[in-house]
Amino acid sequence: MKHYGRFTFLVGGEAGHGVRRAGIVTADYCGARGRHAFQLDDYQSLIRGGHNFSVVTSSPQPVCSQYERADLVVALDRRSYEAHRKHVSRSGLMVFNSDAVSEDGAVGIGLPLSELAKPYPHPALRLGVGAVVVFLVAVGVGRAATAEFVKRKYPRDAESNIAYALSVYDAAAPYLAARFRLEEGEAPATMLTGNEAIGLGMYAGGLDVYFAYPMTPSSSILHYLAGHARDFGIAVVHPESEIAVMNMAIGAASMGVRTAVGSSGGGLALMEEAMSLAGMSETPVLCVLSSRPGPSTGVPTYTAQGDLSFALNQGHGEFPRIVASPGTAEEAYALAAELMGLAWAFQTPAILLTEKHLSESRMTVRIPSELPEVPRVKQHRGKGEYRRYALTRDGVSPLHFAPSEQLVKWTSYEHDEKGISTEDAGMISCMQEKRQRKSEALIDALKRRQTVRRHGDRGPLILTYGSTTMSVREALAYGGIEAEVVQPVYLMPFPVWELADVAKRPIVVVEQSAAAQLAGLLRREVGANVAACVTRYDGRPFDPAELARRLKGVLRHG
Amino acid sequence: MDDLATYAENTWCPGCGNFGILNAFKKAVRRLETEGVSRQDIVITAGIGCHAKIFDYLRLSGFYSLHGRALATAQGMKLANPRVKVVAFVGDGDAYGEGVAHLVFAAKRNADITVIVHNNGTYGLTTGQYTPTSVKGFRGPSTPGGSVEEPFNPLSLVLAAGATFVARGYPLKLDHLADLFARAIQHEGFSIVDVLQPCVSFNNTYELYNRLATEMDSVPASWEDSMAAARRTDRLLIGVFRDVAQKPFHEESLGSRVPAQTRAGYSQRMKAVRRSLV
Repeated sequence: MKHYGRFTFLVGGEAGHGVRRAGIVTADYCGARGRHAFQLDDYQSLIRGGHNFSVVTSSPQPVCSQYERADLVVALDRRSYEAHRKHVSRSGLMVFNSDAVSEDGAVGIGLPLSELAKPYPHPALRLGVGAVVVFLVAVGVGRAATAEFVKRKYPRDAESNIAYALSVYDAAAPYLAARFRLEEGEAPATMLTGNEAIGLGMYAGGLDVYFAYPMTPSSSILHYLAGHARDFGIAVVHPESEIAVMNMAIGAASMGVRTAVGSSGGGLALMEEAMSLAGMSETPVLCVLSSRPGPSTGVPTYTAQGDLSFALNQGHGEFPRIVASPGTAEEAYALAAELMGLAWAFQTPAILLTEKHLSESRMTVRIPSELPEVPRVKQHRGKGEYRRYALTRDGVSPLHFAPSEQLVKWTSYEHDEKGISTEDAGMISCMQEKRQRKSEALIDALKRRQTVRRHGDRGPLILTYGSTTMSVREALAYGGIEAEVVQPVYLMPFPVWELADVAKRPIVVVEQSAAAQLAGLLRREVGANVAACVTRYDGRPFDPAELARRLKGVLRHG
Repeated sequence: MDDLATYAENTWCPGCGNFGILNAFKKAVRRLETEGVSRQDIVITAGIGCHAKIFDYLRLSGFYSLHGRALATAQGMKLANPRVKVVAFVGDGDAYGEGVAHLVFAAKRNADITVIVHNNGTYGLTTGQYTPTSVKGFRGPSTPGGSVEEPFNPLSLVLAAGATFVARGYPLKLDHLADLFARAIQHEGFSIVDVLQPCVSFNNTYELYNRLATEMDSVPASWEDSMAAARRTDRLLIGVFRDVAQKPFHEESLGSRVPAQTRAGYSQRMKAVRRSLV
């Protein structure tokens, strides 16, 4: 009997069938077996109906992407059956809800999942449980263990869920029992979505108050932190608009608490005036920008990397900006904490740029028990009269907060050292130069940190960033392609000091942008010779098999 | 020597209504000090416009914010450290126009901040355009034929939004105005003082206000009475229109926590991170 290393499970249905939850639960099962897992949720901008699916690819080896071809597909409705028939792998199996799909001419195994749910309240909401049970039967979990697992994972009205699960179990077992055997992994692992990792990292890095207005795909940071606010001892505020969000965060930071905000492109556009305020007033604030396909409202629940230039150019006027983008949930955790530290060390806004594909995909993580050190925050030591904007060698003035005997004035106007407005030509120059010195000090600090990640050390150079790094790495593993992947984590200041080789050799750039913005940035910043761009901009993340094929194509010709 | 003043040069026009507001505010701060409020615990913020220059003129800590955004800034400051009293100086174009959403929502959530509106019915610093409170027919550089919009009544707006302390004052009644400021700052919850401020350069209303401004004897008994008093046009009533007790936003959301003083340390955070992953 074949034992599966990599195994892909896909469940599709309408919004309201519990599709996402079914994905989470099966991924958790794989994690408990010590397997690595990657879960992608594809859903539409609606609450009931439509077509949603969740793909869980798991493996005893690290896996950092979903696969389009699935070994087991469970279609809860007709649309899912039609949409995913072609995604069943050669040795794979389609299991469909025979109450929604006519068995006449249908390929696969039909089970009356709706009919079996009928005796219980809210039958449609339970279909996801049915899908999970089909998976458990197929991978050889016993009847009692299935009941126990369902009880634990679906505790609300557990009795009905268990009864339903067992009826599905009995219907499925004759056809499916232990059809797929999964190889055991090494150690049970935790799974987090990118947004959960970002929220957790911001908290680890000192977050005290999170401000946000709901906008997909960033909203789950707000939900995650609100859900953990009590345990973490933080405050989470959802005010009237993104404009309020950013200005409140800045006001709060000026009183000595660490704040962060999060949104997608449209929300960040509303925050942009205050981004510049943070630059002028030298207020630290961490902003998460989670992209979806734009321009404008675009495609809210899908992925894209079209906001790179937007992130790099946030805010009018000249001030130090920090922009960085994590490649995985693990990186997102550490980077969120690091950016919080850098924002405070350099008293300027920092943007964590990510995409729906990382924000909302769920993956195996190993969260380190310690964080790397960040540059210390300069504090006023209480000698002499406090000057909020004291001119210093590195441009960074000591921080001090009201209430105090000292006068602490923060301001949006150009100002003198004490924060009083000025139109004096000499003082304007001094302050512009102070902010420029901060930019230089920031670069010096980044030179001592990891700003670029490299994966593999031989073969052609592939440049990518953000969540697309996961797609590229999985494609290389899948296709057996040897290449050196260079992933700039920091995008502003751009780590040119780490990219000398990129300037010398032809490169292939992979990104989810129609205009190939990363390629443009590399040409501008390091004079890169871009031999080919592999892009995708239909809102869907790359499939590793498809990307491997395309990479082989360009590398052969390149 | 004025220990509430800074070295900043005052650039308001001679005769500007802002002087009365500045003097009344200083008076209120000194009175509050006799009531046990330390001036260190009064932090200020301001929008952008003639009104906002008061930020530079007052020797008090705070944040000189953006046009229209001072109320958001103020609410952030208060949440970070609920022990301080936050005063936001705003203009009518600023808080009734550009940032009106923040005003409505600060009142709705009973944010414990004090809003002082320098309501002069014109954008002074940008040379006299009409604002949300300019009378219909107001001639300014953007409305040379006269504005075609009716002004709105800011007091009825904030009353409708649920403001728990609403007052109106007039700088030529300096002691009365100072009293309103002090009471507003002492109010726990959202407080607003709309100040009838003449602009000598673009909207000189001294004569009108001298004629119409009339002190009220007492706070109207009900919300409906407050509304009616706010909407009177035969007289411009000054005084407190509404003063009711209601739990402020920071208490509802934070309880008695003071985020700026109870920041968790690194090891405490690492412990919570590990706990959350189980």
